[in-house]
Amino acid sequence: MPSEPAAIARPPLARWFPLVWPPIVTFVVIVGLWQGAVSFFEIPVYVLPSPVRVWQAFWAAPTTLLGHAGITLFEAMSGFVLGSALGALLGTAFAYSPVLARGFMPYVIAANTIPVVAIAPIIIIWFGHGLASKIAVTTFLSFFPLALNMMKGLQSYDRVVMDVFHVAAATPAQRFFKMRLPSALPYVFVGLKINVTFSVIGAIVAEFVQADRGLGFVIMTTYRMLAMPRLWAAMIVSALIGILFFALIALIERLAIPWHASMREPQ
Amino acid sequence: MAEPRPAPASPADAPVVDVRDVSLVYAGDRGSAGLRALDHVRLSVAKGSFVSLIGPSGCGKSTLLRIVADLLAPTAGTVTVGGVAPKAARLARQIGFVFQDPALPEWRRILDNVVLPLELRGVDRAAREARGRELMRLVGLEGFERAWPRQLSGGMRQRAAIARALSTEPRVLLMDEPFGALDQITRDRLNMELAAIHEETGVTVLFVTHSIREAVLLSDKVVVMTPRPGRITRVIDVALARPRKLATRDDDAFQDLVREGNRELERGYADAL
Ligand SMILES: Nc1ncnc2c1ncn2[C@@H]1O[C@H](COP(=O)(O)OP(=O)(O)O)[C@@H](O)[C@H]1O
Ligand SMILES: [Mg+2]
Repeated sequence: MPSEPAAIARPPLARWFPLVWPPIVTFVVIVGLWQGAVSFFEIPVYVLPSPVRVWQAFWAAPTTLLGHAGITLFEAMSGFVLGSALGALLGTAFAYSPVLARGFMPYVIAANTIPVVAIAPIIIIWFGHGLASKIAVTTFLSFFPLALNMMKGLQSYDRVVMDVFHVAAATPAQRFFKMRLPSALPYVFVGLKINVTFSVIGAIVAEFVQADRGLGFVIMTTYRMLAMPRLWAAMIVSALIGILFFALIALIERLAIPWHASMREPQ
Repeated sequence: MAEPRPAPASPADAPVVDVRDVSLVYAGDRGSAGLRALDHVRLSVAKGSFVSLIGPSGCGKSTLLRIVADLLAPTAGTVTVGGVAPKAARLARQIGFVFQDPALPEWRRILDNVVLPLELRGVDRAAREARGRELMRLVGLEGFERAWPRQLSGGMRQRAAIARALSTEPRVLLMDEPFGALDQITRDRLNMELAAIHEETGVTVLFVTHSIREAVLLSDKVVVMTPRPGRITRVIDVALARPRKLATRDDDAFQDLVREGNRELERGYADAL
C-alpha cells in the first residue's frame, strides 16, 4: 500500500543525518580557516576579528544584542504579515479583474524596483521615529512580491480541473477556495520566502536610517566606535534571525502543501 | 390540431441524451469567418446504452461532448439530458465527465478526489467517504485512499477520475478519449473494467475514441463522424453478445464491424480532402 512515501517510515535520525552533516562540516571548516588565517597573518581586529573575538563580543552582552535582534525580528515579521496579507488581497483582485490588473500592474512593477534605501527615509518622515515606521517599510517591501505571486498563482490553475469543477456545479466560492487558492499556494510560498529576506533587510535598513533600537542601530553605533567584533556579532545574529524566520516559513510550507512536487524527499 | 398525436414516449424509453440539429461555430479572429465545428448533428443515446463517437481529429467529438455537458453552448439546435437542458442537468449533478487528462487536483488525496463532487454538493464527510470507498472498490483502487495523485500510475489516476465521475450517480457518463494516453495493455484492462462498470451500474455512456476497435468492443452503437464541417455520417449498430471479453476481438462478427467502421472513416477522409 503506497499510501505514504516510503521515506516517512524511516526513523528521524536516519532521515535527517544525511541532510545535516554537510553544512556542519562546511561550518567547522570555514570557522577553522577563519581563525587560522587571523592568527597566522596577524590580521588587525578592525579588519577581521577572529571567531573567538566575535564570540566574546557576543557573550559580553548577550541579552542586549538578542533584545535588539528581537526588536528587528518583530518589525520584520509584523511588516511581513501585514504586507503579505495586503499584497495577497490586491493580487486576488488583479486575478479576478483584468481591467484592474492592466491599470495597476505597470505601477506595481515599478514600485517593486524602488530601492529600500530610497524609500525608507521617506516612510520614516511619514510615520515618525518609532516602530511604526520600520514596520511600514517592511510592509511596503512585502506587498509587491505577494501581489505578483498571488495573481500569477490564482491564474495558474489547470483548465481541465476547472472543467471538472464546472461539471460538478461548483459555486464561485468553491472554485476559489477548493481550486484556485490551493493551486496558488506554491506561488504564495515563493512570494513569502522572498518577503522573509526583504523584510529582515528592510527592517535593518530602516533602523540604519533612524533608530535607537534594533540590529540596524547596533551595526550603526558599533561602526562609529569601530567596535568591530560586536559589529560582526550583530551581523551574524541578523543572519541567524533571517534563517530562523525562513525555516519557520519553510516548515509552514511543508505542512500547507505536502502534496507539491517541491516537497519531495531529497534524493 | 384535430389529428390525434402519438402519445409522448414514456420516460423509461426516452433518450437520456438527445441532440437535435446542433451546429456550433467557433468565432474566428477579427472578421474571419469562424470555424463550423458541428453541422446539424443529430444523435440520441438510449438509457443504459453505450455509444461511441469516432472520427479523425478535429471532427468535433470533444465539442459535442462539451455541449452535452454545458461546457459550451450550441450556435443552433437543442440538447436535452434526461429530458432537461444541459445546464439544468449539470446543476442537478446528472452529468459525469471523464477527460483524457485525469485532472486530479494534486493537493487532494485519491479518496478526496473521488468524492469531490459530493463534497461540492454538501454531502457530509462520513456519507461521502463511505460512498467514496465503495467507488474505489468498483474501479479497483482499494488501498490507495490516502495516496497522492502523483504517487499513482496513469491508469490508476484515470480509474480515480472514472470513480469521481460516477460519484453523484449521474444519468450519463461522458468520456473524451479517456484511455488515449495509456499504453495498450493498460488500455485493454481498463476497457474490460469499463465494460464491467457499465454492466454493473447500468449508467448510460457516451464515449469518444480514436480507435475503432475500442469503439466496437465496448459499444452498442458506434457513431462515425467526419470533419470540416463536423457531421455524423453513419451509425453502426453493434449487436455482439454481452458481456464482452477481450477475446471478442477474435470473432468474425467483431472484425466485420471494425472493417465496416474503417471503410466509413476512410470515406470520410476522402470526402473531406
Ligand atoms: N476553443 C476553440 N476555438 C476555436 N476552434 C476550436 C476550439 N476548440 C476546438 N476548435 C476547433 O474545432 C474543431 C473541432 O474540435 P474538437 O471538437 O476538439 O475535435 P475532436 O475532439 O474531434 O478532435 C477543430 O477544427 C478545432 O480546431
Ligand atoms: Mg477531442
